[in-house]
Amino acid sequence: MHKLTVSFIQKNIIFSILFFFCSQVHADESVALNIYTVNYPIKFFAEKIAGKHANVTLPMPADIDPAFWSPKAEQIAELQKADMILLNGANYAKWLPKVSLPLFKLVNTSAEFRDAYIMLKEGITHNHGMGGKHSHVGTAFTTWMDFSLAEKQAKAVFKALSRNKPKLNTVFEQNFIPLQKALLDLDKELTEIGERLNGQPLLASHPVYQYMKNRYKLNLESVHWEPEDAPTDEQWAKLKEIIENHPAKWMLWEGEPATDTVLKLEKLGIKSIVFSPVANAPETGDFMSIMHENIERLRKAVNKE
Amino acid sequence: MIDSFYLAWRYIVFNRVKTITLVLCISLVSFLPFALKTLLNESEHQLMSRATTTPLLVGAKGNSLDLVMNSLYFSKEKPDFISMKAIEKIMDSYLALPIPLYTRFHARDYPIVGTTLDYFEFRKRTISTGRAFAMLGECVIGADVASRLNINVGDSILSSPENLFDLAGVYPLKMKVTGILDKTNSVDDKAVFVDLKTTWVIQGLGHGHQDVKTLKQSGDVLSRSEKSITTSAKIKQYTEINTANLESFHFHGDPSIYPLTSIIAVPQDEKSATILMGRYLSEQKNQQIVRPKQVIEDLLGNIFQIKEFIDAVVLIVAMAMVLAVFLIFSLSFRLRQKEIGTILHLGCSRSTVVKLIGAEILIIAMFSGMLCYSALLVLQHFQGEIVHKLFIS
Repeated sequence: MHKLTVSFIQKNIIFSILFFFCSQVHADESVALNIYTVNYPIKFFAEKIAGKHANVTLPMPADIDPAFWSPKAEQIAELQKADMILLNGANYAKWLPKVSLPLFKLVNTSAEFRDAYIMLKEGITHNHGMGGKHSHVGTAFTTWMDFSLAEKQAKAVFKALSRNKPKLNTVFEQNFIPLQKALLDLDKELTEIGERLNGQPLLASHPVYQYMKNRYKLNLESVHWEPEDAPTDEQWAKLKEIIENHPAKWMLWEGEPATDTVLKLEKLGIKSIVFSPVANAPETGDFMSIMHENIERLRKAVNKE
Repeated sequence: MIDSFYLAWRYIVFNRVKTITLVLCISLVSFLPFALKTLLNESEHQLMSRATTTPLLVGAKGNSLDLVMNSLYFSKEKPDFISMKAIEKIMDSYLALPIPLYTRFHARDYPIVGTTLDYFEFRKRTISTGRAFAMLGECVIGADVASRLNINVGDSILSSPENLFDLAGVYPLKMKVTGILDKTNSVDDKAVFVDLKTTWVIQGLGHGHQDVKTLKQSGDVLSRSEKSITTSAKIKQYTEINTANLESFHFHGDPSIYPLTSIIAVPQDEKSATILMGRYLSEQKNQQIVRPKQVIEDLLGNIFQIKEFIDAVVLIVAMAMVLAVFLIFSLSFRLRQKEIGTILHLGCSRSTVVKLIGAEILIIAMFSGMLCYSALLVLQHFQGEIVHKLFIS
């Protein structure tokens, strides 16, 4: 009887310890990660891969270009408390060098291909004080517009999540594989369109398509126009100068351009196509649906030719 | 017995110069070995405490002791700089987490430590007042810096120029104090912590100035074209970073080649540490990776060898001192023969004379002991400072 009681107590203790251990592991894994991202594409990737295991926040308002947003003191405090801050890399977040964040929590999703960053040459050069001439231009940052690079960024997100929650690696992998396939499909579709274009001149309203131009061999020239603003006479004159040597039939726009601008462009024989980089959270749809719409618009335009 | 002590005391008070000299000599000889032991124990404690909690250090190839002393104790000896590429290399390896350190500059006499917020977590430092730095130009100061300079949260501290005669050099940066660290009795109490990028601003790698595109005064702009604006040195550069001018601050050149003095590498486990060390040994010609504990143990080994030598010297001095004291007493007794004769003639026994002399020696020994003990108490109070000045900085 005594032996039986001791054995019962021992078993109870062992089960209690096991239960405690299991509940602790479960509790640890069930706590959703607090993740911040610097743009919408990375947020989309993180949400797709992490699912319910992360709360992913894009801290800027929806009407701001995330690359040029600046956090306020209280937002910096929130960022400092995050479990992980997913960066785009390529000097995307211009605010990043001005704030203090824990290095351990930063994940540069484009670190793997940092050698493939496109350096920009244009910009105002000035010369004062120490250091001689310098300009404030740097690196093209819309890396995800090359879908093969976007796939690498998604993979970097997957790896970072797995490192943080190794026990959920299988879950993350199961979520990542369809995303990877979808991104590679987009890459294939745009590669085909690039081949069909076969070097035909294109225009871009803003210099945000550098990686897309490189990957899909687009013969693309950029101006500095904003979709909602009517271009100035000077800007029109510059465009006319460009199309003399670069007779483009299409101009890619980040957002829906003003009707007057579209009409004026049509008079010059240039059709407007919206190809949104979807850098910030869209009002409707998501990264994939918007990219499909972008590609579809471009495909239709090319097919009409 | 009390009578003997009374008479001995009266004699000592009457011959106070001789007594004081004797007390000082005996105290000094007793104090020296104890003081040496106290200082060495404290130096061992101070040096080892940070070394054992710092797993690996990466820095430029050269004197490993300079690297460790600068990275752990912010000493003035500066190792050669390494670049931010070293951080990328460690991060890409996934073997360790890197904490960068850049300890080139000072504010008054206190080192400015450029690092990331991870440093506070790694060293388990907490902020007693205020908050951690969040923006460029903000700083967190150690408890001693705050008390000695009488600085509070919200005040500012100015970086010191590296060279007073470099009139064309970088302007000192006025840094806003956002927090004060809890006192830890370590070198962190005597340091000014800033974000790594702030140290690059102090160095002039980053700066803020008037918007060159909107400059109107003819003297400010030397030439202007579509792609280039050349301004004169008159352009206003900001010497303080605040919310109003933060946007104008920017860095030039490739950030991956910006300088660091060292990196604290925190490996995932011992295996990762060994692999990382192996990689540095085989691949890195310009950088070294060291275990601070090993470097400090080597240093302490040398210090203890010196201590053994000093102990021998102190022993010889002590022996000479004992002989000198013996000589002083025997000479004193010879001079006091007449006095001792009078005591005996008064009817006192020889044992009373012995008791009198014994009481004198005991009083002198007691005063020497008290003086030695008091000096040791004072030394113990300042041992941290003394060790820091003697062995660390």
